[in-house]
Amino acid sequence: MRLLSWPSITQLLLAPLVVGARASEYNDYSENLLLKSLPGNSILASFRFVSNGTFDSHHSVFPRSLAQILQQSQTKELHLKFTLGRWDAEQWGRQVWDGRTAGGTGVELWAWVEAADDSEADARWTTLNNALSGLFCASLNFIDSTRTIRPVMSFQPAGHHSPESLERLHLLHGTLPREPVCTENLTPFLKLLPCKGKAGISSLLDGHRLFDAQWQSMSIDVKPVCEESGKCQLQMEQTKPYAGGDSCFPLSGVTDLPWSLSEMFGRPIRGSCPLAVVPTEEATHVCVNIAEQRSIFVSQGSEERKKSPELRCFILHENLDFDIVLPELSPSTNILLTPPPVYASRSLTGHGQERGGIQAVLNNPSSNSTVEFVYLESLPWFMKPYLHTLSVTISVKANRNIVQDIYYRPALDRKRGTQLEVRLRVPPGETVLLNYEFEKAVLRYTEYPPDANRGFDIAPAIISILDPTSQKSTFSIRTTSLLLSLPTPDFSMPYNVIILTSTVMALAFGSIFNILVRRFVGADEVIGGSLISKIRGHIMAFAAKRRRVGGSKPKTE
Amino acid sequence: MDRRSFTVIIAAVVLRLVMFTAFPSLPDLLTNRVELSTPVTSFKRLQEGLFLYTHGLSPYDGGVFHQAPLLLAFFTTLPSNPIVVYLVYILSDVLSAYSLIQIATSGVSVSTPYHTSSRKSSAWPPWAVAAAFLFNPFSIATCIARPTIVFTNTAILTAVAKGVQGQGIAAVLALAMASYLSLYPVLLLPPMILLAYDNLPAVKKKKGRSLGSFAAVLASVFTVAAVGLGTLSWGITGGSWEFLASTYGVHLLLPDLTPNVGLWWYFFIEMFDSFREFFLCVFQLHLAIYLAGLCLRLRKQPLFVITTLLGISSIFKSYPSIGDTALYLSLLSLYRHIFPLMRYTFFVTSTLLYATLLGPAFYHLWIYAGSGNANFFYAITLVWSLAVTVLVSDAIFAVLRDEWETERPEMKGKEIVQI
Repeated sequence: MRLLSWPSITQLLLAPLVVGARASEYNDYSENLLLKSLPGNSILASFRFVSNGTFDSHHSVFPRSLAQILQQSQTKELHLKFTLGRWDAEQWGRQVWDGRTAGGTGVELWAWVEAADDSEADARWTTLNNALSGLFCASLNFIDSTRTIRPVMSFQPAGHHSPESLERLHLLHGTLPREPVCTENLTPFLKLLPCKGKAGISSLLDGHRLFDAQWQSMSIDVKPVCEESGKCQLQMEQTKPYAGGDSCFPLSGVTDLPWSLSEMFGRPIRGSCPLAVVPTEEATHVCVNIAEQRSIFVSQGSEERKKSPELRCFILHENLDFDIVLPELSPSTNILLTPPPVYASRSLTGHGQERGGIQAVLNNPSSNSTVEFVYLESLPWFMKPYLHTLSVTISVKANRNIVQDIYYRPALDRKRGTQLEVRLRVPPGETVLLNYEFEKAVLRYTEYPPDANRGFDIAPAIISILDPTSQKSTFSIRTTSLLLSLPTPDFSMPYNVIILTSTVMALAFGSIFNILVRRFVGADEVIGGSLISKIRGHIMAFAAKRRRVGGSKPKTE
Repeated sequence: MDRRSFTVIIAAVVLRLVMFTAFPSLPDLLTNRVELSTPVTSFKRLQEGLFLYTHGLSPYDGGVFHQAPLLLAFFTTLPSNPIVVYLVYILSDVLSAYSLIQIATSGVSVSTPYHTSSRKSSAWPPWAVAAAFLFNPFSIATCIARPTIVFTNTAILTAVAKGVQGQGIAAVLALAMASYLSLYPVLLLPPMILLAYDNLPAVKKKKGRSLGSFAAVLASVFTVAAVGLGTLSWGITGGSWEFLASTYGVHLLLPDLTPNVGLWWYFFIEMFDSFREFFLCVFQLHLAIYLAGLCLRLRKQPLFVITTLLGISSIFKSYPSIGDTALYLSLLSLYRHIFPLMRYTFFVTSTLLYATLLGPAFYHLWIYAGSGNANFFYAITLVWSLAVTVLVSDAIFAVLRDEWETERPEMKGKEIVQI
């Protein structure tokens, strides 16, 4: 019976990459995997790879391909996310690593680019997108000015930047909500790792099984990390959270289904990566966060370190395969969930293809603390919101201090999209409804994609929870993307439309000028006035001429 | 203004007030109709522009608001009460009607210095002309939907009213205002100069003012007024010229392809990219091409040239709406005496009715029901444009025949041909 139900969640974290130091001096590369059981017989597998290096080192584990791109485009900090599926916060609780490593559906990219002015920043941003597009086999080059925004409240740099360089940094953010994330993006991701998926925990990342997950995210974060001495390195963090499951019916609450690594990923871990740092008591390779009463069987050659009753960690042997097997447990164990700071959902309202509305429902689950966050919306230009219709309503009494601040940059047709950032304060236990109306533009027929009637993907809204004191983003949440259907023309009609419209114009021109340029005369005043008599006259004249000609010339045949 | 005209205006004001207040959802319903509101006149977009303007954002740095900056300044001074806005629009319609009464009273439509119609007795009295405008369903719907074309129409009618009184400077100032609000009235400048010149009081004309010098003065007054309005707008928008591209640039380049009753939107949706600029030029030139021909051929009746140009631009301008056609029809009602000479009145009336009734239905089928496609509404706009085209050319025919019959009274009622 293969009624396995393991919505497993994998997280890949590509860790800081330090460029410029000798390999032996630093712990250049580390990797670990955290397996966590989630309610509904789901497993979250979070992979985290951290590499350090500098630009000019020839012996670094930091991938040169990426380092060159960053250097070329003067990018000081980079965050690139590939996400597929939906993180079900109601069922799974808060995301690991404070949601920092997960992006919105599709591809999301933001970077701090060093430039003197906006136009230079745009040029470098384009360079960066085009280069990353080639490196990751993704359509990142389609992040043009209409999909790029410059958020003002939602993001803060995570790395160490000197105050002088911070002034020259430009934050640019782009999304491709329609991009399907697949194996072709995974392969370049693995290539950035020192062991390239041949050994270590990255050997689990097999494209055949990985994309069966209910939710997964692949993220690459590069940031400069400085020591006290002022020596700076680049740190790359690569993460891949992954939540999978193929449940045919809801089994949760009855039994905890059995699972094993090799069943979930189609293969065991092929030993440890020899390039990673030597594992210590703290830095272990694989950790399993699961109820204490569940027994775990592991393959030979690994060492177990029990950090807490619910967190069991393992150090892998370099040359031996490693697998974890968990047998079935009944009745199922209860998993305590930590709720996220905000539950967010967003949907389209209204009907018809002319206009519509957006409703975001934002709920603060906490019973005692107020939450403050920035709601960021990046809309395509063909969706034209009316800001004067923006309304923020709260379930109970009207509280005027909910909206703290609004930043709005309206769209320009075919040049840039709309950017809306709203800073909100939601009291404990309250639900806020954020509504606005928009109008849908009609596009030129060449601007529609081949499947125009499928609709257009609208990028997920980004909710950044702010720290009350520092006003910096501490947690981020993405809503799902939306599908917006636009009115479509008839794509088979260009010639017909050109011909018919031109006919009407020609008719107007012809009839008006016909009346303007001709003189009036009485019908009886015209010699041979009617058309028929005119034609008859011409025929007669022609016949008379023939007769004359025939009479004077001799026959030739 | 006689008592009848007064009664007509009062009745129209009451009717509009009732429509605004008795059906509270009607104004917003009509505002959302593409036949009444275009991207360059829509009241909803005006509200968005006002919202951005009062919150310190430039409304012209966005793709929604394409209307003149003076409108922003004007509406920000109004109290935010909707009744005040309704009253402003009603007042605008009343001013239009008052101008029409002035035009009709002057009798310029039947008798100019060069031509007096032999049928002048059958022209409508001023109150009937005002009623034809105020009780035209198109005018009423336009007023309730509150597009800013209402103000343009008022400015145009004021200009014409000043023109028939021979007040050339006032006429071109009003025309400059209309052109400032929606660009295309600039085409009316030459016939407006002719109209004002023809109706100059005899005293002034005796001073030997030639048409050339008169036209030069008025054209420079127009230019100065237009530049003055532009500079004023520059001040209103905080010293930035970006409103030019976002208002007149939109009229000229058609970036927003929202459907309307005109011919441009679907044509430029379906146009091949490489020919887009070429056809934009052709379509804009097409509007201007009638100007010289009409002015020369109908030199005796410049008011009719203005009427005809308004009719043509209500079909062929980039963002036409029902409000433009309503303006044309109201001016055409000054020419009641030539209606018997028109040949296709039945065809035009039935076609206009057909398009009016089927237009909303087909639009619904396309946008909401999903059982029709864009061609349904496009076909209706074609029919509508065709009907107005036939009406315009038929009216020209009738007016020319009327002129001809004045020369040759013996040809009245006889069959004629054009050679």
